[in-house]
Amino acid sequence: MMKWRNASVARWSNIPAQNHKLMNINGVFIEDTFAEAFPMRATRIIITGINYKWARHAAETMTGFATSVIGCKVEAGIERELGNHETPDGRPGIAVLLFATDRKTLEAQLQARIGQCVLTCPTTAVFAGLEGEGQIALGKNLRYFGDGYQTSKQVDDHRYWRIPVMDGEFLCEETTGYQTAIGGGNLLVFARSLSQVLLACEAAIDAMSMLPNIILPFPGGGVRSGSKVGSKYKTLSASTNHPYCPTLKGLPDNVLDKNVEAVMEIVIDGLSVEDLNLAMRRGIEAICDLGKAQGIEKITGGNYGGKLGPHHFYLREIMGGDQI
Amino acid sequence: MSATTIEYKGSGDHRVDMHWLQQALEQDLSPKEISKSTLKLGSEQVLLGDVFSIDGKLSASELSLKNSSNRLDYVGIGLPSDKTLLVEGDCGHYLGQQLAGGRLICNGSALHYAGCNMQTGSIEIMSNAGDYVGGSIAGNKRGMAGGRLLIHGNSGDFTGDLMRRGLLMVAGNIGDHCGNRMIAGTITSMGSVGKNAGNGMRRGTLLFPSKPASMATGFNDCGRHSLGFLPLLMRDIRAPESAFQALHPMRRRVQRYLGDASVDGQGEVLIWIG
Repeated sequence: MMKWRNASVARWSNIPAQNHKLMNINGVFIEDTFAEAFPMRATRIIITGINYKWARHAAETMTGFATSVIGCKVEAGIERELGNHETPDGRPGIAVLLFATDRKTLEAQLQARIGQCVLTCPTTAVFAGLEGEGQIALGKNLRYFGDGYQTSKQVDDHRYWRIPVMDGEFLCEETTGYQTAIGGGNLLVFARSLSQVLLACEAAIDAMSMLPNIILPFPGGGVRSGSKVGSKYKTLSASTNHPYCPTLKGLPDNVLDKNVEAVMEIVIDGLSVEDLNLAMRRGIEAICDLGKAQGIEKITGGNYGGKLGPHHFYLREIMGGDQI
Repeated sequence: MSATTIEYKGSGDHRVDMHWLQQALEQDLSPKEISKSTLKLGSEQVLLGDVFSIDGKLSASELSLKNSSNRLDYVGIGLPSDKTLLVEGDCGHYLGQQLAGGRLICNGSALHYAGCNMQTGSIEIMSNAGDYVGGSIAGNKRGMAGGRLLIHGNSGDFTGDLMRRGLLMVAGNIGDHCGNRMIAGTITSMGSVGKNAGNGMRRGTLLFPSKPASMATGFNDCGRHSLGFLPLLMRDIRAPESAFQALHPMRRRVQRYLGDASVDGQGEVLIWIG
């Protein structure tokens, strides 16, 4: 994964040896380290449609190519499905979370994606899903697509824009809230085979996907291309995390045990520390439920010695103790 | 804190200007000071204490106007957001004019210009209201600018004249020229609507259960539609206890008329169907 936040080759040297206490859950070694994460700005929107099919079409399209802020400017994903009783207009809906490094980028990406992926999608409407610390434009500028035929309606201090389109009206709220959030929470899973690490990650992703206020922005929630900072090629700022590549086992930099055949990462963005704590705990629990018997060797986190961000998620604290 | 009571003692055939209450609230006058101030009745100056008796302090959040009459004009004018005024009886003209966030409940009827130029807050009239409800006083370019005005009975002609924003709900019937020169906002009714609805309408929504007796000639039939904003609006409409609660909260199917084209307007008259 081309992410600078998962990059440091030398991170193991930053962890004092005395901290390497044993913690095993169902035979899976939990490394005594922390996953490092950084502040982001996040917003939530609610997309509704005539049915889930069309609401999901819009949500999936607008969260496409939104895996990493490095290449995509924004990280986005579907948070969950919403029942008719949970949406402003009483139709089936999808909650979408978007994360960016700053408010301006978040707003620009949101508008571009709403304009190209939701406005265009038959029967959909879009609403604010967050009160937040401040407001960013949702339909505020999109309304000009109405070419003067747009009208607004203010209900309960919320302004909605009604833009005439070929299937009737596209209804969108003028603004949505945004708040400080956290990006880059992560877990790294080591297993004896590719199929076993996939199985473990899928179990963790399923468990975490049940939770509100988080998304797993990478394809299917998993990441195979962890990266390190820098490259032998001067034009590249990041390159494959070769210490974790199983086909390079035995080389001096490689840190994998000989019985580890594959490593997979799960990246988590969340609205608060508590949300990430809970998600990581559920993820680790799901992986450890499979246990060493299913080939899971170890779980660790992306630790960069505090250089990446102020949020440190200590795996053993998350799991509630030094040893189990 | 218990409600402060203001009792109207009578003023013969003279109309009473209730601006004094707004001034007393702004200046936080004591009942004694109010009683000693003067009030103009016709061509005479009288002591306010001769016309009203006040029990309690005006700093109370809830005020009650007892024995009210349709001779009392400007009741609740500019009522601020921290005040509730309960009016027992009828009111004269200009009830709740320029309401500034307060809550005004009149358990009788009101004459003309109720809620005109109101800004925010809510007015509830338990019986009927006269002409120019939610409208504008002569000379102003904009009428009601926000808040909710609910009339449980009927309203007269020119309901919502020059209305700019807010929600005007009439549980009964509405007279002629409803939404005349309307700029924006929403007017809805559960009864019938008279002639020439939407004349000169620029924007805004008129939402009725049946077609008005006649609409301005500049309206075009846009056909039948399911409009997504209506369930949102229904939350507002169904919020207070009224006949409107009989409407289904998810109702959204309407016949739409767009106008008034004579002023290049994009107002709409929506008629519930289905």
